Amino acid sequence: MTSVTGAALSASLGASVLAASAGAVLPRRIRPVAAGIGTAAAGAAAVVAGVAAMTGRSWSAWLPELLPLAGVRLAVDPLGGLFIAVTGAVAVCAAVYGVGYARPADGHGGHGLDGRTVQAVLPLFVAAMLLVPAAASVSTFLVAWELMALASLLLVVAEHRHRESVGQAGLWYAVMTHLGLVAILAALAGLAAAAHGESFDRMRAAAEGMSPAVRGAVFVAAFAGFASKAGIVPLHVWLPRAHPEAPSHVSALMSAAMVNLGVYGIVRVGFDLLGGGPRWWWLLVLAAGAVSALYGILQAAVATDLKRLLAYSTCENMGLVLVGLGAGGLLVTADARPLAALALTAALLHVVNHSAFKTLLFLAAGSVLRATGLRDLDALGGLRTRMPVTTAMFAVGALAASALPLGNGFVSEWLLLQSLIGSLGEGGTITAVTMPVAVGALALSAGLAVATFVKAFGTGFLARPRTPQAEAAAESPAAMGVGMGAAAACCVALALVPAFTVPGLARAVQVVLPGQDAVAGQVTLRLAAASSTMSPLLIAVGVAVAAAALLALLRFATTWRVRRRARLWDCGMGPMTARMEYTATSFAEPLQRVFDDVLAPETDVNVTPLAESAYLVDSVSYRARVGDRIESRLYRPLIAAATAVGEAARRLADGSVHRYLAYGFFTFTGVLIVLAVTR
Amino acid sequence: MKDLLRKIRKTGRVAEDPPERPAESAPDALRELGGSVQLRHVDAGSCNGCEVEIASVFGPVYDAERYGARLVASPRHADALVVTGPVTRNMEMALRRTYEAVPAPKGVIALGDCARNCGVFAGAYGVVGAVRDVVPVDVEVPGCPPEPEAIVAALRGLTGR
Ligand code: SF4
Repeated sequence: MTSVTGAALSASLGASVLAASAGAVLPRRIRPVAAGIGTAAAGAAAVVAGVAAMTGRSWSAWLPELLPLAGVRLAVDPLGGLFIAVTGAVAVCAAVYGVGYARPADGHGGHGLDGRTVQAVLPLFVAAMLLVPAAASVSTFLVAWELMALASLLLVVAEHRHRESVGQAGLWYAVMTHLGLVAILAALAGLAAAAHGESFDRMRAAAEGMSPAVRGAVFVAAFAGFASKAGIVPLHVWLPRAHPEAPSHVSALMSAAMVNLGVYGIVRVGFDLLGGGPRWWWLLVLAAGAVSALYGILQAAVATDLKRLLAYSTCENMGLVLVGLGAGGLLVTADARPLAALALTAALLHVVNHSAFKTLLFLAAGSVLRATGLRDLDALGGLRTRMPVTTAMFAVGALAASALPLGNGFVSEWLLLQSLIGSLGEGGTITAVTMPVAVGALALSAGLAVATFVKAFGTGFLARPRTPQAEAAAESPAAMGVGMGAAAACCVALALVPAFTVPGLARAVQVVLPGQDAVAGQVTLRLAAASSTMSPLLIAVGVAVAAAALLALLRFATTWRVRRRARLWDCGMGPMTARMEYTATSFAEPLQRVFDDVLAPETDVNVTPLAESAYLVDSVSYRARVGDRIESRLYRPLIAAATAVGEAARRLADGSVHRYLAYGFFTFTGVLIVLAVTR
Repeated sequence: MKDLLRKIRKTGRVAEDPPERPAESAPDALRELGGSVQLRHVDAGSCNGCEVEIASVFGPVYDAERYGARLVASPRHADALVVTGPVTRNMEMALRRTYEAVPAPKGVIALGDCARNCGVFAGAYGVVGAVRDVVPVDVEVPGCPPEPEAIVAALRGLTGR
């Protein structure tokens, strides 16, 4: 069957392969340009395919020869189309940006990003991410998933020659992503076994008749696996390590496109293949989402590494999406389908919005990193005059990410809030208890997000440069500006006229909840289920008019006053130095103190007295660090235990051939005995 | 809380009754301040004796805020400066800049003998001169240190209350 969707998806995959081969064989001089153009074309074609699927042009194909035994089974429905379109759009921005980013910057030298590996693997990574939502059978899905994991791993460690920490980050990522794969593999294999077939259609049909225990086990395993990809607390530990260390356009692809596929997996398996489930599933999802949102944004609020901050913000946003999914599932069990559809629409819209602003923010952070070699907010500052384009771009992204009106994050969080508030009366005690808590978590995380991004923008870009590197920063090449500009344009469009996504989102939601239309309207969004409306465009016009009026009034009020030019007040002494500025650490200090019990910051004060007297101080050193508590409390003991087991297991292999033969013999006999007994 | 309330009731009012209103003595430039003068205190090199008296002027007993005078935290918020001590070399530029930072109309009170004529510090190696030598002075309060009553009277002269 041929259709626009199929043709565009094939074109996109073809373009990725071409771009990958261009990246592998062309000479270094033209390699980034050729691969970048190819990847951007692939992304654009994917957007076409995804949008076509979201307008109802579903497509499916079976290529039995491509994979041995199972064949490749593809199907694009509106739900998959949504994720394909988002991935494609992120890929376009990142690819265009990558053309400039790979060029060596003056002063900081190349990061080797125009090497063959990176240039060839990046298009493959995009292709794999496009295949995941298009897969329609377990084997195809897992192959695409693993391809995606491996490609992203190669990209994460691209700069391992330049920084020690890259290797560590790669290790964490590799382990976490493969543990996730094991969980997903177990879940899908179990589901396929219970359904006696591995195509998604088959599983969908058979899911009704399965025992609740099997369904529950499948869901929990799949949820764990997909949540680890989506960076949900406590499976998030790879995210704040891998995102900062990966090249920035790769961070953007990972944080804005790849983590979405975790959400996709949860929706696909939980809602679609299993056809929904009992209440406890969704309470689990909701709780994980709320915890992730709060923990993520708290860590982001106290982070000083710009890209680490953005990575934690991804944890937060994916948590919010999961709150939406959990609420949706819960409402389905309470038989409040219109509200459930609203919650799901909000969640999916938030996926789209998050992708737009997180792409923008990571690209802008990369631009700063390339120009200064710094990610530490405490060392930046003063970029507004030196990198005006990047600053403007980051400002747009920060506004969006802080979920304030005029930003696109606001629209989806508002929808989510409406669905949560609307569901207070539905579904008895459980919802009556959980929903207010969820509303509280949502509100708190939105508030902390504002503080986080005020900090990131204020200390990173405004004021005066705190280091010579920041002082010497220069604006990035045009290609990077174009990449960021495209992402910013998406943010603005999504913020002002979000209604253009509504029909597509409605179709995507209808895949799992047939017959529901949660949101309507062109300029004003109307929510029938929560009986409320909002018009982002009118809000924007209102704010613009009010701001213009206020400015005019101020102008008018001061016309009859004499203006006096005065020195900046610096306590009479001056000059003010950059050391006097608020730093990211000092800005976050009150928050850190409030949430002391959760964050458990480590501070070290070392006072060295003079040799002559213990009362005279020679020097004082102060060190403060906010580590990831979950990592140190949960993962360190696990790693220590695994290491101990590994050490112990080594004693089994002492090099004696006789012993090895004995192992083989006894194992074989053991298996035979077990078989003989059980059969 | 109950203890606190009881304490408040038992202590009652400690502020002294306001003495007769002194004759208006505000310089013309400051008349338009209309009964409310915000003050920024600058220690230009004082021995801190004057500061102790200023503290008691704004304490509960003399309570100068009754008459519309108030200490503020920045010259940008102030109408007038209260300068104590002789102007030392280290504070000369700071005093000039502080004076520039006060929005017009503005005034300067030289408080204490040191501020008026360098007092006991006259001729010391670190002293630039009296306050008058650095910024224009409108009101002077003599004494080493001046008594709170004298300071209050000078402030009431400015506020006209
Ligand atoms: S006037 Fe007297 S009390 Fe005031 S600063 Fe001078 S020496 Fe000290």
